[in-house]
Amino acid sequence: MQKLEERPQAVNAICRRNTRVYAATRKLTLRRRHGYEPGVAARLSLGSQRLVIVTGKGGVGKTTVAAALARAASAAGRRTLAVEVGGGRLASLLGADTLGAEPVRIAPTLSAARIEPEDALADFVEGVLRFRLLSRRLLGSTSFQILAAAAPGLAELLVLNKVHAWLEARRLRRPLYDLIVLDAPASGHSLPLLSAPRTLGALARLGPIAELLRTLAGMLADASATLVLLVTTPEELAVRETIELHEELAGRERLPVGPPIVNAMPGRRFGPSDVEVLDGLGATAHDHPWLVAARFLVERRREAESQLGMLRQALGSGAVRLPFLWTPPDDPASLEPLAEGLASAAGLAA
Amino acid sequence: MTPLQRTLESARIVLCVGHGGVGKTTITAALATWAARHGRRTAVLTVDPAQRLKDTLGLGRGDGPRRVPLTLDGARGGRGARAGHLDAYLLDVKRTFDELIVALAAPEQARIILENRLYQNLSGSLAGTAEYMAVERVYRLADEGGYDLVVVDTPPARHAVDFLDAPRRLLALLESRVFSILKDPTTILPAAGSRLARLVLDAVLSGLERFTGIGLVREVGDFVRAIDTLSIALAARIRAVQATLAGPGTALVLVAAPEPRLVGETGVLVEALGRTGLRIGGIVVNRSLPRALFEQPADLSPPENLPSALVGRLRRGHADMRALAARQEAVLAPLVAKARAPVVGRVPLMAAGPGSLAELAAIGAHLFPEADEPVARARGLAQ
Repeated sequence: MQKLEERPQAVNAICRRNTRVYAATRKLTLRRRHGYEPGVAARLSLGSQRLVIVTGKGGVGKTTVAAALARAASAAGRRTLAVEVGGGRLASLLGADTLGAEPVRIAPTLSAARIEPEDALADFVEGVLRFRLLSRRLLGSTSFQILAAAAPGLAELLVLNKVHAWLEARRLRRPLYDLIVLDAPASGHSLPLLSAPRTLGALARLGPIAELLRTLAGMLADASATLVLLVTTPEELAVRETIELHEELAGRERLPVGPPIVNAMPGRRFGPSDVEVLDGLGATAHDHPWLVAARFLVERRREAESQLGMLRQALGSGAVRLPFLWTPPDDPASLEPLAEGLASAAGLAA
Repeated sequence: MTPLQRTLESARIVLCVGHGGVGKTTITAALATWAARHGRRTAVLTVDPAQRLKDTLGLGRGDGPRRVPLTLDGARGGRGARAGHLDAYLLDVKRTFDELIVALAAPEQARIILENRLYQNLSGSLAGTAEYMAVERVYRLADEGGYDLVVVDTPPARHAVDFLDAPRRLLALLESRVFSILKDPTTILPAAGSRLARLVLDAVLSGLERFTGIGLVREVGDFVRAIDTLSIALAARIRAVQATLAGPGTALVLVAAPEPRLVGETGVLVEALGRTGLRIGGIVVNRSLPRALFEQPADLSPPENLPSALVGRLRRGHADMRALAARQEAVLAPLVAKARAPVVGRVPLMAAGPGSLAELAAIGAHLFPEADEPVARARGLAQ
């Protein structure tokens, strides 16, 4: 028999069915056990969105989700640009050799690029000073730190500025890219990125920079064009951090934050009647490796469900769930189940 | 006593490094808790901007220490043990920097620096400063805090290297050309120090300020001149901190999770650590599947009296877990070889994520095998 994970469609169909059946059958037991309503899978609205910023706690699969979303959008015919900040795994996940400051075309509707904040700053200083020698001397690796410090948020601002330039890029009077997916730094570092226009705005009130700041702040806050997605796994610490970050970004920064993306959601292998049978077995049977594995899988699924409930309770919205993959994705093909999950949540037709 | 226990009994500083997502924070907390239960006056410091340790240890925000209760229901009590305790700290970069300035500068000088607008902006956010201030905080806790042991949750991955390398980089900055350029910007022009050079530079700087609307460029010079009066004392301090970090009382523990993606990232971290000259003392493998259960043959006879559909599901569930365990072992071996350090602890993947001190104790039980304590106690009685 062909393995399940080699048949992404089947996995997806099972996931969807499980979600429906589960929502119905577990509703009562969950309400009784945990005091909450299990989340109905959320929809991801990408209607007019042109910029999607993906962030989350380190290690939850943020880059994987960004890559899968870029593939899903490009498969649906949107001309998509995937962008990462600093070195990462985006290139291998999308099947590109290397990424650089200039977007490279991977497929007819999919391009990718990498922004190095240091390079962005060098470009900026050269542009301002119009004096190559001077800017070269100013820009050693240590002086980057000093310049970046002289205006806190400058490096982050330059990253956003680059993204903005790509959003505005046009060919034959039509935008070069329909959608930009930005794989932003992990949560601890994405807050500076997303609050840069505001932080800097307090320092610069006049001049071209102040104008740029207003433009970028406008770009980030525009709910009709921008969406911030927080990726998490259904684990306690990751969920708590996601709730915190959601409060900061949606509350304090007033950014358009979408429903949380719960990655690596363990599948439901055993139904309530299975669990009943397993629980009823004698103590000696419990050492059987099959039963140890089964107990682990049941327990993990239960924990994941309860974390989903926490998330829903705190954020008041359901989550987009992506399945746990037994073989971790490392190339475009293995990304397919996640791309399909995102496509169906976003209503993207291939 | 295991090597890990020996380290926790004898080291002054234990630095936990690892890629984000490997459970570094939890392991850090478990190590610190064990040390405190075994009589060491222990501080645990988190440098992570996401303040995850706060969640694990139930802390609020702020820099001050919180005493973590060690007597828990279900936890093994250290009966007859020496009294240790555990204080948890979160790093406040700005406050650490302020305290350092006050400690090193004359009162009037300190006031000038602390009131400088650039300093106020910079002290919390200068790339590299946060990392250095973390090291400074560790040094101060270990040196003056009245603790036997300081356990540190370092920032994830590439930031961990910045952290460990911070003293060297800050020294390089103090001695660098950039620093002297900022002190007297005309030194980059051909006729350094001349009036013409100064006029040209002033024109460039005011042009830059007009363009950016930020009056800070000029203040960099003011700030650097002020802090320069401290640079000798600061350099001496940084050297002392650097020596402590590289000294025999400091142990580096690498936390790794045997997942292919995380192993790859951890490998990059190991290489970067190698370049800083710091040696990894031991590896703690987190989230490994219990090998014993999955080393058995795949074609076991099924448990009796079960519906055949369930038997099929049980077989597939076990086969998947077994394949996962095999993959874990396969990706871990090269990492261990690269780190050139022994695996000193293994914590199994738990179905429920750790989030309480009781669960922390469960992790501690895996890191520090149960057998040790009763045996040690029995030996103690026999003597």
